Amino acid sequence: MPQPEAGPAVGASREPVLVTKGLSKSYRTGHIIQGRRPALQDLDLELHRGEILGYVGPNGSGKTTTLKLLTGLLRPDRGEATILGEPLASRAWRMRAGYLPENPYLYDYLTPAEYLDYVGRLFGLAREKRRERSRELLALVGLERSAGLPMRRFSKGMLQRAGLAQALVNDPELLFLDEPMSGLDPIGRRLVRDLIRGLRKAGKTVLFSTHILADAEALCDRVAVLRAGRLVKVGPLGELLRLDVTHMEVLASGVAAGTPGLEAAARIDAVGDRSRLEIDEHSLGRVVNAIEAAGGRVLGVQPVRRTLEDYFVEEMGGAVAGGSRREDRVGEWGEG
Amino acid sequence: MGRGLSRALAVAANTFRETVRERVLYNLVFFAILMTLAGLLLGQLSIRQDEKILKDIGLAAMDLFGVLIAVFIGTGLVSKEIERRSLYPLLAKPLSRSEFFLGKFAGLGFTLLVNLSVMLLGLLLTLGATGRRPDVGLLTAVYPLFLGLLLVVAFAMLFSTLTSSTLAAVLTVGVVVVGRFADVIRGMREVLPGVPQQLTKALFAVVPNFANFDFKSQVAYGEAVSAGILAWVTLYAAAWTLIVLGLGLASFRSRDFQ
Repeated sequence: MPQPEAGPAVGASREPVLVTKGLSKSYRTGHIIQGRRPALQDLDLELHRGEILGYVGPNGSGKTTTLKLLTGLLRPDRGEATILGEPLASRAWRMRAGYLPENPYLYDYLTPAEYLDYVGRLFGLAREKRRERSRELLALVGLERSAGLPMRRFSKGMLQRAGLAQALVNDPELLFLDEPMSGLDPIGRRLVRDLIRGLRKAGKTVLFSTHILADAEALCDRVAVLRAGRLVKVGPLGELLRLDVTHMEVLASGVAAGTPGLEAAARIDAVGDRSRLEIDEHSLGRVVNAIEAAGGRVLGVQPVRRTLEDYFVEEMGGAVAGGSRREDRVGEWGEG
Repeated sequence: MGRGLSRALAVAANTFRETVRERVLYNLVFFAILMTLAGLLLGQLSIRQDEKILKDIGLAAMDLFGVLIAVFIGTGLVSKEIERRSLYPLLAKPLSRSEFFLGKFAGLGFTLLVNLSVMLLGLLLTLGATGRRPDVGLLTAVYPLFLGLLLVVAFAMLFSTLTSSTLAAVLTVGVVVVGRFADVIRGMREVLPGVPQQLTKALFAVVPNFANFDFKSQVAYGEAVSAGILAWVTLYAAAWTLIVLGLGLASFRSRDFQ
């Protein structure tokens, strides 16, 4: 399981680069009898320079709506936001920000190099600078060998990486990433994770939405939790998860559920000759002795901490799927 | 050059590139074939007669291909971008919605200009190759035709900000058809007295008279189109295009992209 990165982000400060106050949005529903469905309600959020904030919540909780409001694709019903010291409606801050939409569709008749050149023109970059930037970014996202291919021949993962490259053309101070790991294979996910870590090292500020909790755990300084359009919790991961060890996990061979001395195990899952035992910290010595006394072998011992996924299942289970089984609810949260 | 203009030109250049890559200009091949066939078949007729027919066919083909491109590419210019969400990353950049919208219009306008210029050149070459005098006066028919096509694009873009690309295409074709028969609508009450006057008046007010852009027959017969008329047509086209484009822009600017 990925662990949160230790230590503060390089260049992290208390300087707010994004402040929202009471930001709200509702969508019209129905054609004949019209109503309104609230998508985001009274969002008060602060993002500080140099930090990575994970924006997490179930599908339909308002993550994408928030990012669309911040990037001007939607207009808020009420509330306000300041981005990089400028009001939301101003265009000036856009010169210093980048945005990756969810499942980006980039013009498939263009090559990634052409697309980046086009985006560079929108930022007013000179031709030589655009070329240089395009080369750098394609190398950064691992697409340098596909620079001349039309994007209609790209896989979903390649498109996602090209999308990330376009978000970085202007070397932004602030990045909005909507589900940046969506649709990526393990190698692609690793690449994007490393890229986001690199951005943090470079002092960039990142707000990224995800439903893959492992990604949020691996990357974020703080997490903002959204449910049904409302911000329910925001804070450092450690504070949110209370990073104490909840139990120990012992992997052993040559023992079974009935082995004397293993009654202390809260749960034993056997697969072939191997068993995985969940025990509390204080019973560790007793259980290890019992395994050895029964002729078994301890293959590994691992402390288990509360994960973000556990947090959701325990704190917000009702909102997730309405399912009662723990496995069902974990599954809803995706691939983490 | 202002930054806004520079961004709009970037959008226009990309729109032109899109139409080229999406093989929109393939219609030129059909035009070339049409001109070759017309030139060969009309060789049997008298010089005076076939020159007129050749010009007629050429100008009519320019008109038809131009309208098809203006309607079907024009309606997709904005609606396709919305449906595919390709404008999301762009509008989050310092590109304003106005720059995007006007850039798209300019891009397709340029495509139509290139298209018409190549077809005009093809017609002149066909005239020359079949022993007729290449008539530069054809320009006086092609120029108003181009203005009319720009107006069609403006309508297509307006409708595409309001509805799906299919319905937008239907509405745009409706405007073109009604606009081409505007004179008939004006005189409709004389033929069909039962038609309410308000209806014909309203139709006449909201649809431009596309017949004002049609000088094909006149030019084919070798009649000159005066500079005064061309200036009036330019003003007429500019006024209508600005109004329709302005409405489209207002609609596009007020949209939410859910």
